[in-house]
Amino acid sequence: MRLLPKLASWATAAVIALAGAAQAEWKPDGPLTLQIGFGAGGSTDTIGRIVAKVMKEQTGWNVIAENKPGGGGVAMFTGIANRPADGSVVGLGVNMPLLVNLVNRPDQMQFDLDSFEYLGTAARAQLALIARSDAPFDDVAGLVEYARENNAPLAFDAKPQELAMRKVAEQAGVEFQFLSTKGGAENAKLILGGQAIAGFEAGEHLERLAAGDIKMIASMNDTRHNYAPDTPTLPEQGYDIYVDPVFFFATTAGTPADARAALTEAIAEALASEEVATVVMNSLKSPIVNLGPEGTREMMMNGLANVANLFGQ
Amino acid sequence: MPELDIILAGLGDAFSPVTLLFVLAGVVLGQFVGAVPGIGPVMAMAIAIPFTFGLDPLAGIGFLVGVNKGGLVGGAIPAVLLNTPGTPDAAATAMDGYPLAQQGKPLKATKMALFSSVTGDTFSDIVLITVSAPLAIFALRMGPVEVLGLMMLAFAVIAGLMGRSVAKGLIAAALGLLAAMVGTDPEHATPRFIFGQFEVYDGLPLPAIAIGMLAISELLSRLAQRQGTVPAIRMDKGGDPADRRVSWAEYWGCRFTMLRGAVIGTILGALPGIGSTAAAFMSYASARQASDDPGSFGKGNLHGIAAAESANSSVMGANMIPLLTLGIPGSVSAALIISAFMIHGVQPGPFLFEQQGRLIYGLFGAMILANLLNLIVGQLGLRLWTLVVSAPQSFVFTAALLMCFVGVSLASGGLFGIGLMLGFAVLAFVMTAFGFSVVVFIIAFFLGPRLEISLSQTLALLNGNPLALLNYPFGLLLMLAAPVAAVALARKRSVPTREEVT
Repeated sequence: MRLLPKLASWATAAVIALAGAAQAEWKPDGPLTLQIGFGAGGSTDTIGRIVAKVMKEQTGWNVIAENKPGGGGVAMFTGIANRPADGSVVGLGVNMPLLVNLVNRPDQMQFDLDSFEYLGTAARAQLALIARSDAPFDDVAGLVEYARENNAPLAFDAKPQELAMRKVAEQAGVEFQFLSTKGGAENAKLILGGQAIAGFEAGEHLERLAAGDIKMIASMNDTRHNYAPDTPTLPEQGYDIYVDPVFFFATTAGTPADARAALTEAIAEALASEEVATVVMNSLKSPIVNLGPEGTREMMMNGLANVANLFGQ
Repeated sequence: MPELDIILAGLGDAFSPVTLLFVLAGVVLGQFVGAVPGIGPVMAMAIAIPFTFGLDPLAGIGFLVGVNKGGLVGGAIPAVLLNTPGTPDAAATAMDGYPLAQQGKPLKATKMALFSSVTGDTFSDIVLITVSAPLAIFALRMGPVEVLGLMMLAFAVIAGLMGRSVAKGLIAAALGLLAAMVGTDPEHATPRFIFGQFEVYDGLPLPAIAIGMLAISELLSRLAQRQGTVPAIRMDKGGDPADRRVSWAEYWGCRFTMLRGAVIGTILGALPGIGSTAAAFMSYASARQASDDPGSFGKGNLHGIAAAESANSSVMGANMIPLLTLGIPGSVSAALIISAFMIHGVQPGPFLFEQQGRLIYGLFGAMILANLLNLIVGQLGLRLWTLVVSAPQSFVFTAALLMCFVGVSLASGGLFGIGLMLGFAVLAFVMTAFGFSVVVFIIAFFLGPRLEISLSQTLALLNGNPLALLNYPFGLLLMLAAPVAAVALARKRSVPTREEVT
């Protein structure tokens, strides 16, 4: 029976919502739109829709989830940066695509990091470098040695992954072949099929890891992964570079303080619910990490410097 | 292989009243959203996923499978009745379905689509249930070089569908490829042809282009004829009852066509990322190639409908093969089913059959159940839809137009998507007026990104050495088959043309 814990969580939610209503006077003037910077069906979409659903139950606001795909969130955040700062639209996106574009095409972007009020983060995508378990290496040093003697095709689905490995190749004096793909699933297919010697996955690989079909070579984040505390990060293996995708919430800069506070609180409460935690854990294999408004801002600023480093600027 | 009692318990779960009800609801919803131009089952599934969290896993996933399968049947309805396919794979169904509907036999055409869709779907489900493991290994062996060969073969097949003028066909295909290049390139991740519009950074949104070119242009040109009071489709009430049904002899006569379509759809479906459009058109082209009377294709031949529908529906079951065995989704709808699994804490992959045997056999039961329900609901639904479209054109077409606007706005980011849809509708209108094939354009547009990325991966694998292609004999074979197929199909095409002239 799943009903009892559910009822309990609803009851808690109702209490929190009542308490919240007593403190924060602000509520959206009409519906609150939670825009999702990606199309339907991905992990960002899953997070956005469950947060919108729980937030609606907790606050009683009319929260609408809306997909705004394009440029990994650039299209959506362009819209959010250039709209009235009334707190009626909140965006959910991933830091990496924004940072990559801000570093490479600052003149074409209609916003910078100061165009937003940051409201919090939902989770971190734990990006892993993996290889088939019969690969003749267990760490990045072994992979580099392998590449000295053989063709070493790597499967990647986002530019920062490729750049990080180009840095590794450059530092070690070897060459990789880069297979550009449409996503983690295709990376997995190429690795399992033997067409790629290693590649990237974020969470989808855990079952195969447990089955012993694949092994983990490195954590690409700047922290180790919660499910593999013994696998070192890329910086720990001697290459000072990392890729750290974080899901975050933001709204238009200049949004009044009371609206900001109410939105921050509503998001934090939704993220604290058991339902959101379960869905995020199940779909991302990552725990909820809410850095709060200040922490999110700091994460974005530090991320910009790291991405500039990745792109050699 | 799990114990027999687990299999039976799973199948029993599928036929429990709650699951049955949710699968039925899914099929009804799927047929509805599939039949209404513009929305589509993928959109419906994406919206429904968070709500399945509160359900029992089998009921939730059964519901989504129902939506998906219902959508396959529903998608053929507007294609056949109004010549307004919402997706490119349904465009293959429209090529013979619409002419047959125009001859006063709309029920016969839609029923043939329903029967062949359910046949193809059931075939691939049986393959999934019985031999998914070896097929999954085969799919893994198909690397970038082999997929490139397959894409080249698919493009060669398009050459066989180009219509009278090869030059115009090539121009339409080139324009489609050009449209496919909008957005980030796979090699260097630099945006191409985006003109500062970050909405198209990931490429032009597929739903807006497909609906704009296939549905809106047709609806606008039909509205422009200003026959507002004429029924959108004629149905002779007193006519021959044989025109309103598909006889067993007619169905049985299409058995090889459907089998061929189902095999093509199952093989392409097992390969992640190829999709039902290539399957539908390759099946259609091979049915015409095998036919004694290729000139009758495009004029209401039942074999044309059977070929397209059996192939595009069998892709769905086969998409589940890499999903359940390897945890790799084969299409957008398969990816949505994975996320439904995952929010219930079930990770598709190598352990699935061991750890969740009962759920998986429940799912297989639900899939077969959905096929049966598709047949029953479809029989009733088709009558309803043919009644709906026998209303005056001014009602039917404007209502369809409205639904297209709503659907594209939902799926492709609001007003920007609607603008694109209208722009491409005008392009399709102009292309049709000057004799360029819109279908060729749209297939090239849909397959273009996969062709490009396979080419990029192949070049990286070959690492500058063309002789390395010899290490991929199967891929090389597919590449060599492409020009052979193009020539063979072009010869066949020219035959009826000459007959018509003399």
